Amino acid sequence: MKRLNRIAAGIALALVLGSASAGNDYDYCLLCHGANANGNYGIRAPKISGMEPWYLARQLENFASGARGVPPEDAAGHEMGPVGWRVKTEGSLEGAVKFIGTLESRRPAPTMTGDVAHGKTLYAGCVACHGAKGEGNPSVQAPALAARSDWYLATQLANYQKGLRGTDARDTYGAQMRAIISTLPDEKAIVDVVAYINTLK
Amino acid sequence: MQSDTLSMQRRNNYNDGSTSMKRAVSRRDFLNLAGALGGSTAVFRAAVALGILPAVAHAERPELATLNKSRKVLILGAGISGLTAAYELSRKGYEVQVLEASFRAGGRNMTVRNGDRIDETGYQQVCNFDKDPDLYFNCGPARIPGHHKSLLNYCKELDVELAPFINDNRLAWVQDDSMFGGKPVRAREFMTDSRGFVAELMSKSLKPEQFAAPMTNDDVERLREYLKYLGSLDPSFKYVGSSNAGLAVHDYTNPDVLKKPLDGRELLKSKFMAIMSFGETDDQAAMMMEPVGGMDRVPAGFLRKIGHLVQLESQVQKIKVLSKGVEVTYRRNGAYVTAKADYVLNCIPMHLLAGIEHNFPKEFAAGLTSIPRGKLFKIGFQMKERFWEKEGIYGGISWTLQDIQQLWYPAHGINRQKGVMLGAYTFDPAAGEKFARLAPADRFKLAIAQGEKIHPGYGSYVETGVSVAWHQMNHMLGCAAQWDEELWKKWFKTLQTPVGNHYLMGDQVSYHPGWQEGAMASAHFAIADIDARERAAGSVAA
Repeated sequence: MKRLNRIAAGIALALVLGSASAGNDYDYCLLCHGANANGNYGIRAPKISGMEPWYLARQLENFASGARGVPPEDAAGHEMGPVGWRVKTEGSLEGAVKFIGTLESRRPAPTMTGDVAHGKTLYAGCVACHGAKGEGNPSVQAPALAARSDWYLATQLANYQKGLRGTDARDTYGAQMRAIISTLPDEKAIVDVVAYINTLK
Repeated sequence: MQSDTLSMQRRNNYNDGSTSMKRAVSRRDFLNLAGALGGSTAVFRAAVALGILPAVAHAERPELATLNKSRKVLILGAGISGLTAAYELSRKGYEVQVLEASFRAGGRNMTVRNGDRIDETGYQQVCNFDKDPDLYFNCGPARIPGHHKSLLNYCKELDVELAPFINDNRLAWVQDDSMFGGKPVRAREFMTDSRGFVAELMSKSLKPEQFAAPMTNDDVERLREYLKYLGSLDPSFKYVGSSNAGLAVHDYTNPDVLKKPLDGRELLKSKFMAIMSFGETDDQAAMMMEPVGGMDRVPAGFLRKIGHLVQLESQVQKIKVLSKGVEVTYRRNGAYVTAKADYVLNCIPMHLLAGIEHNFPKEFAAGLTSIPRGKLFKIGFQMKERFWEKEGIYGGISWTLQDIQQLWYPAHGINRQKGVMLGAYTFDPAAGEKFARLAPADRFKLAIAQGEKIHPGYGSYVETGVSVAWHQMNHMLGCAAQWDEELWKKWFKTLQTPVGNHYLMGDQVSYHPGWQEGAMASAHFAIADIDARERAAGSVAA
């Protein structure tokens, strides 16, 4: 039913887009994610510039399909859900990913502080997939963690912890991440590991 | 950008003039010194601080002086504050350009009619109301109180015709699942019977010794008398019903028959008591007004005068405050464009401004992310029949404690076949989020199911609907900024005080967020300040 409603909304959009002026529809991304998609804490939209194209594509797909961003407690995620669906049906995931790739990515200023030494110990459990420098590893589909919005990393780790992400059967990589989240047992562990990730270059 | 000029401005701006500045130098020496360091604006700020020039104390529509020099002003956002400032400044010789991110002007002042697009980030909608001048929906502001002077003055000046708006209707319904098993009662019954119940109890239990201030027996008697009128009590101070609650039958050829009072204890179970006096509050009490044909007649009025100054689909990406002027970079047709101006009046919602590249002082930037964004939500339904008029309801609001919270009946088009009524207007952010999570068709289903409890058969009248989740609307991502006492105290001055020649505006920079009057007051505040600076610099015609 939900899908049908979305389709109805899509048809309505197709009607209006016919009259829209020429421009770049993916500029919509910048509304929430900020200039050059470097993130906007003001509305809890993370930095997405500099993200790996394959990672962006997979997450857009997850939002579009409802494999991510559905639980009501994930307020920011459910704002992104219908946007992912719209990008997929009325534009193209490839087009959006390509656009993000043209933006000028900047390292965000840290907003969180924690026990970096403790965070380093905890990060040992992350290295295998995300790399010693947080550089990521495409062969296991693990995204880079360095130079991301730190508050966003913390939110997502908490979402994995609470079962707000990585619980949908279609999100297999998310499920892997959720399986290993027990190495970060509480809020302090999350803050500390993110504080350490902030030091990675 | 952190020049001496600016730091001086930030220290001295808008203080109360009772500065404790040490008088080691004379006032004149100090002003000369300030001028040498920071130019005419610094002299102006310092003069204000010393009490020589009056500060911009209030935000009534200012009388601007006409410029005799060229001054370029960029206004970011064609909402009510931006249009107000553009209208005023352009008439006085300022060279004004308004950059608007959206495909339309008006900001949250938005009326939809047949064919209009509702630009939500995810769920796009098109309004399918019949083509008819009465079939429209005010998605944002919808009523104007009689004391909102600025807005009313502009309406007059811009030929925006106004008509009465009915906010409070005692024949409308009150519905709450926690009383009478969810069965609705007329607002007048709830109000009259609950007041009668409370007044009777109080009058029975009043004793002089209960009061902190000395009360004589005569005082207490007068108080009981007051309660008698307040609660429509009978001569023996009992509440036995009142025609204020509506008669049992309206048969004017026979004696009146009062309704049996509703059970007072049952009435007090409802939290409607908190909303009961809504129609008596400062901004909501009669007499209210609305523009004939839709609230967007207000921006349309401005656009008739200054529409040529507004450039749509121009989304700001970067703001650089310079030692002189401000530089703005925006995206248009997929490319970056940079423009420079002497002044920038910035009406971008602050939670979006936070994501734009800028060189604002740290404190100012911190303020931008500190005020929560509003999440108000509205639904408008086109009804194939004005069924509410058969229930004696002509305009006004029914209240429910369900998610939809309110049903509004249009005060325009009475007795016509169809009408657009409001099917939900949520104040609670959780309710707004709940609706926003759903696709439009599911939002309508939920709203219809709840409306059925007030009007059985409600859903059968719905022909088509529109929904507006303000925190998901493109280029808005929020309704009125959610200030509270603590936030006002901590951030308001910081955000209101100009950063160099950059001013933050909009209802978000007023003590009246969510009202067009607040937006206009913020514009008046900013342009009055610019005017004072230009006068001090001698750039105005004598």
